[in-house]
Amino acid sequence: KELWTLILYHHPWETVTKAAMQKYPNPMNPSVFGVDVLDRNVDRQGRLHSKRLLSTEWGLPSIVRSIIGNTRTCTYIQEHSVVDPKEKTFELQSTNITFTNMVSVDERLVYRPHPEDPEKTMLTQEAIISVKGVSLSSYLEGLMASTISSNAGKGREAMEWVIRRLNTEIEELAITARGTLRTPMAAAVTEK
Amino acid sequence: MNSVGEGCTELKREYDQCFNRWFAEKFLKGDRSADPCSELFLKYHTCVQKAIKEKDIPVEGVEFMGPNREKADS
Repeated sequence: KELWTLILYHHPWETVTKAAMQKYPNPMNPSVFGVDVLDRNVDRQGRLHSKRLLSTEWGLPSIVRSIIGNTRTCTYIQEHSVVDPKEKTFELQSTNITFTNMVSVDERLVYRPHPEDPEKTMLTQEAIISVKGVSLSSYLEGLMASTISSNAGKGREAMEWVIRRLNTEIEELAITARGTLRTPMAAAVTEK
Repeated sequence: MNSVGEGCTELKREYDQCFNRWFAEKFLKGDRSADPCSELFLKYHTCVQKAIKEKDIPVEGVEFMGPNREKADS
């Protein structure tokens, strides 16, 4: 099963990219409980490559749990991303590396500026899901597809949450910086 | 956010802070200077690799190239 989503953010590409790089944790994706950078490097064209491991507690519907059992529901996802600061693209590809004999979820996300408005960013998201060897496969694929598609809507909320959080941190830093500057300057003035 | 290795979370946070600052203030602004986070990354990376082995997580083909080493285009 294939899913396509297109989302428009009313923020410039740099803002969205910074937020996407720090997407977790956020309240809309409680199933992601760990994010680790496995490797990172800048290539000869100045693009940043990152390999990350996402640890998730996949909230499987109870019908699936009753089939595969309740024990190991930790799912691990490996993600490879490339940020091109010249072309202004941030591309991420991810795939599950556990439960691969049962299910395969491959996602590809690309963030780029809106072609006509640099204050906006477009995200195209593609997911390919296949459930293997189970007679309920098309039912389960449909279930996973609707979860992923409602998560795409949550994904937008998640990103907006991260963008607001980053903006608050910037404001707090600015207020602190102004406070620390005032004291030595005042001291310098009174010494004269 | 936590690390997959419970003991690595603090090392991860220190590295993330360093990286996020460089990413936003240098890399995205076209500054080509290398990130100053290699030492932090090395400590964090060592810890995570150990946790991955212990938990038997089937991570594919990851060699530590390091943040400043150049990689051939694939």
